[in-house]
Amino acid sequence: MNNSIQKKIWTLAAIVLFIMATIWIALTYYNQKTQDRYNDILQRYLRMNEVTAASQQMITSLNNYLLKPSPANLTILDESRESILRAKNEVYMLRNADNAFALTSYMNLIDSLVETTDRSLIFQSEKETEASTQAFDEATRISKYISEMTLTLIDTELRTYDRFYRGIIEQSKELKELGIWLLLLITFLLAVFTYWFSLSITRPVLKLTQAAKELSRGRFDLEVEVESNDEISFLAKMFDRMRININNLISEIQQKAQLENELQQNKLLLQESQLRSLQSQINPHFLFNTLDTLSKKAYLEGAEETSDMIVSVAGLLRYNLKRLDRSVTLYDEVKVMRQYIDIQKARFTERLRLHMDIDDSCLHVQIPGLTLQPIVENAVIHAVEPEEEGGNIWFRVMDGEDRITIEIEDDGPGMTEEKIQSILEEHAVESGGHSTGIGFSNVVKRLRLFYGLEDVIDIESGSGRGTKVIMKIPKTRGIESYDKAPDRR
Amino acid sequence: MRKIVLAVLGIICLTLCYFTFLSADKAFRSDWQLPQTAASGQTQHRLVLITQELDTSFWDRVGQGALEQARKDGASLEVWGSYGRNQEEFLKKIEIAIDSKVDGIIVQGLDSEAFKSLTKIKAAFYGIPIVTVANDVPMAESLRRTYVGSDQYAAGQMIAKQLIADMGQAGNVILLGDTYQEYYQKQRLAGIQDVLQDYPDIRTAYEETEATREQVIATTKDLMNRVPDADAFIAVNANMAEAMLHEIGRRSRIEPYHVYSFDDGRDSETLFAQGKLDGMIEQSPEQMGALSVNLMMQWLRGETVPLEMDGYLTEIRMAKAMDAR
Repeated sequence: MNNSIQKKIWTLAAIVLFIMATIWIALTYYNQKTQDRYNDILQRYLRMNEVTAASQQMITSLNNYLLKPSPANLTILDESRESILRAKNEVYMLRNADNAFALTSYMNLIDSLVETTDRSLIFQSEKETEASTQAFDEATRISKYISEMTLTLIDTELRTYDRFYRGIIEQSKELKELGIWLLLLITFLLAVFTYWFSLSITRPVLKLTQAAKELSRGRFDLEVEVESNDEISFLAKMFDRMRININNLISEIQQKAQLENELQQNKLLLQESQLRSLQSQINPHFLFNTLDTLSKKAYLEGAEETSDMIVSVAGLLRYNLKRLDRSVTLYDEVKVMRQYIDIQKARFTERLRLHMDIDDSCLHVQIPGLTLQPIVENAVIHAVEPEEEGGNIWFRVMDGEDRITIEIEDDGPGMTEEKIQSILEEHAVESGGHSTGIGFSNVVKRLRLFYGLEDVIDIESGSGRGTKVIMKIPKTRGIESYDKAPDRR
Repeated sequence: MRKIVLAVLGIICLTLCYFTFLSADKAFRSDWQLPQTAASGQTQHRLVLITQELDTSFWDRVGQGALEQARKDGASLEVWGSYGRNQEEFLKKIEIAIDSKVDGIIVQGLDSEAFKSLTKIKAAFYGIPIVTVANDVPMAESLRRTYVGSDQYAAGQMIAKQLIADMGQAGNVILLGDTYQEYYQKQRLAGIQDVLQDYPDIRTAYEETEATREQVIATTKDLMNRVPDADAFIAVNANMAEAMLHEIGRRSRIEPYHVYSFDDGRDSETLFAQGKLDGMIEQSPEQMGALSVNLMMQWLRGETVPLEMDGYLTEIRMAKAMDAR
């Protein structure tokens, strides 16, 4: 797998090598065969010629011996006899159907030559010079016949092997032709194979290139697919994995960016509300001191109720200034809400009727500051103020499994569906007259940000049947960032 | 598109493969086997037919008959010889045949000392049987085993009788013979003369000449000068017929003359076909060849020992110009 391209290249090289080796071996074999045949043919001629030479040699040595019968010359004569007999045996190998007759004659001629020579020697030893000379003459004649017969035999050979020689020439021509055809075939096959082979390497690369191009254009959703079994496919798989990882990272970054955006919005909202509260607290210490003085003066003058009310106003004001950017306990919130109700009671007297049903065990939960007061205020503004008869407000805190349910209900004219929708979708619907300057939608936003939950607040209402705001506060907070975000200021 | 390309590539590949294999088959198929060495030649009897007149139609036919018979009898036979009565070459061939220790020699007889010494002494020394064919040399002089061929004496008689039948019982006959008279020519002449001497009105003029063309022409000229009223010509040596006829034709028309010869000359058949010869003795060359080989084989195998001393005669017949036309 990891050296697959190398393997492919090796395969190509091996195939080429194999083809070349095969051709080389075939040609060498063929060449060798032809060479052997040539050698055989040459051998035939050489052997025949050898006989002629040997016979002439024999006559010469016989002549020398007859002229000068020395042991040395006799040795030479014996040697030449040996050589001619050897040549005769070699010639015997050359027999074939066409020259059987001539060759037998030829060999018999050689025998005759040897016999005649021997006869000449015997006559010589018996001092019959004339007979010896006659035998020598005969031997000379036979030697001449041998020469002639050699020529005749070679002539026969040529005729016998004529077709054979022509065959050789013909075949060497055919071999040339074969060479050309073979060259064409191999060239063609190699071209096709190389094309196919290079395609098998370049096609995946091309696909990979295209995939990379798509990625560089920012399209991370296209799968990288490469059908091959080599390194390229491995590369492609890795590339695909990288694409998936990048894709995941990008979506994560997008989520984070969204979160950041929300935090930013939260910050802006806080700033806005604080700015508003600042506008209304020109000199808090002066105001608190004045209120204290007023409360004490009212008490001294016997107006105890007035004194209490002023204390409530002062407490509410202080809370409003201090606790806006902090989470507080539900207990604190309820306390502030009571102070607010006390103040409003002084205004509306019997027209404002508050019914409270609080599970004390739930009062420790954390809650954003100034969340209950604006909602209660909202109920007072819409359900109590316009009515001549006044109105009832129910405030309930109930324990749940993992959430605490806070309900604020009034029996006012209620809200339209569109109004509810616009509040829940956090569209800032500014309605003046809020004591703290914090509207309903601001509360909704802060609650959602604080808990990181969408369903933390719900409104049930209809025209003519009152409004019920339900908050479901988790006992433990989901997101901690709310606390820290304002600290960054 | 892709399919078409693939198909074209496939076709090209197949074509190339086909031609390559065709070529390889041609180049590597080794039908050029060397002729096998024959072991059977050993047991065959080796015979040689030797003649002085290779490439004449007469001797070609003898050779044919002999070769055919040799094949039938399982002997190997070669026809050797010299061209145009070259005696020296002829004798050399005989000597080679003897020195090559062939099993039998069938030879055109030559009535010369050298021939006789070769056959009588050398061949006998090596124990090689000799059969004369077509032309005989007497047994006593050549130690031949037998003779196969025409009865030359009878042939002479036949030609003489034909002459009398054609010419009538009176006239002048010119006989042309060889200075170097061979045995078979002597016999022919004897046959002719034996017949003609019974007719007193027929006068014969016999002249001998050398076998060269110039000599024959000169002698013919001389004869015609001496015997201007000649009626008939007989060329005892068939090879002289052409030159003789040439000379006669130069002087006058050939038709009135009765011209006879034998069929073993170089131009015999041509002359006869042209109608220049009135009569020609036709022998049986194929039969001679076949019979000689057959007899030689019989002798070698020991089936007929000894062979008939006087020889085995083959058919002769008189071919007249009428037949040819």
